[in-house]
Amino acid sequence: MTIEFLSPVWPEQAAPRPAKRRPASLEGATIALVDDNLDVPFTTHLESLVEARHGAKVRRLVKPSGTAPSPPALIAEAAEADVAVVGIGL
Amino acid sequence: MHLLSDRLTAEDYDEAVELFYDRNWTDGLPIVLPTPRRVQALIEHVGRDPQESLGDIPPKGGAATIEKLAVNAVMGGCRPEHFPVVLAAIEAMLAPEHNLNGVLQTTHMCVSLVIVNGPIARALRINSRDGVFGNGYRGNGAIGRGVRLALWNLGGAFPWDTDKSTLSHPAEYAFCIAEEEEDNPWRPLHVDRGCPEGSDAVTVFACEGPHSVFCYGAPEEMLHVLADSMCTLGNNNLHVLGQTLVVLNPLNAEEFAKRGWSKDDVRLYLWENARRSVRDVRACGAVHDQFRKMEIDAGRYPPRYDLDNPTTRVPVTARPEDIHIVVAGGRSYFAAVLPGWGGFGGFAVTRPIRRSR
Repeated sequence: MTIEFLSPVWPEQAAPRPAKRRPASLEGATIALVDDNLDVPFTTHLESLVEARHGAKVRRLVKPSGTAPSPPALIAEAAEADVAVVGIGL
Repeated sequence: MHLLSDRLTAEDYDEAVELFYDRNWTDGLPIVLPTPRRVQALIEHVGRDPQESLGDIPPKGGAATIEKLAVNAVMGGCRPEHFPVVLAAIEAMLAPEHNLNGVLQTTHMCVSLVIVNGPIARALRINSRDGVFGNGYRGNGAIGRGVRLALWNLGGAFPWDTDKSTLSHPAEYAFCIAEEEEDNPWRPLHVDRGCPEGSDAVTVFACEGPHSVFCYGAPEEMLHVLADSMCTLGNNNLHVLGQTLVVLNPLNAEEFAKRGWSKDDVRLYLWENARRSVRDVRACGAVHDQFRKMEIDAGRYPPRYDLDNPTTRVPVTARPEDIHIVVAGGRSYFAAVLPGWGGFGGFAVTRPIRRSR
């Protein structure tokens, strides 16, 4: 006997927007460095390395909390950069 | 009743349940099949619009409609009368201060505990006595699992993906208790938190699993053991405050009350004595300091403590009222402490249970 039942999930949403093309070089590129506020010394070190070794311009965006999503304004600002680095934890 | 969920078919139960496994629609255990008849019975019981949404469940943001919550509640074993409790629990978890997005994805091992108060707990036989955090009762099991399955299927935080809980704990399957209100000398939790006497309510709080505390004797002796158990160096509260939970058994509570201790007296004593020195805390390492600094910068760590003085004793919560006390379990020698996530969230939220129309 055929049994009928209901799906517990919503149908898959449309595919997310494709990512921007990766720049060929970081030289002169703008990098949005999203600081999760979890390991500030590490993030500061990363910022100086990216600037010194690759000649990139870092725009550091600090999240109010590492345990909550980024505010929409911060995401919009990060999206303007050529490259974004996110998810910096411990 | 018009339902929006996709309809699927299978030749028998075995085939159907394998489909749930194949599509990752279950938590690892078999489920009750959410047939249209069963799902409609839950929705009819609460008398609400199936497409009313309580909010979006993080991280993936699936809408927590009455219909989808009913599907998942059926899968967890809920009968219609359990469904109002599931709805109140989800509503509470979606309050901003609970930070469900963080709770579901943190590396910490907290899980949102559902605590049921009021006459509905007894009517639904939700266990509040011996073995309260354990098995054996449909109310605890079905409500607890129905809630977890809703988070699983609508939120989509999976342990191989964005649920980064380092170790987690078995309560990911179900985590629901009732407070013991009859064998309890004090006001119940939900009344402390502003609900009317005799009303039904759910309180959610994200916490670790229960840690056994060998707790028996005079009030001062019980408090000595409890305070020590609450401030172990490994729990988050000691480093980043937040909230914590203490579960006293009815005999513990009776002993306190007989000697004139109110619940607030117990709470204040624990807040003043569940402390460790800055020397002990600093010995944990620089990472702990970094987290504390983050909480200080966020304004969640009160500046009243001299953290440069190694003899300063720091508490586990910023305020006494952030220590939640619940009475549950058997009349015996054991209590439990359940540390929270810290100042990051998972905070207690209470919502009334709306009985069926």
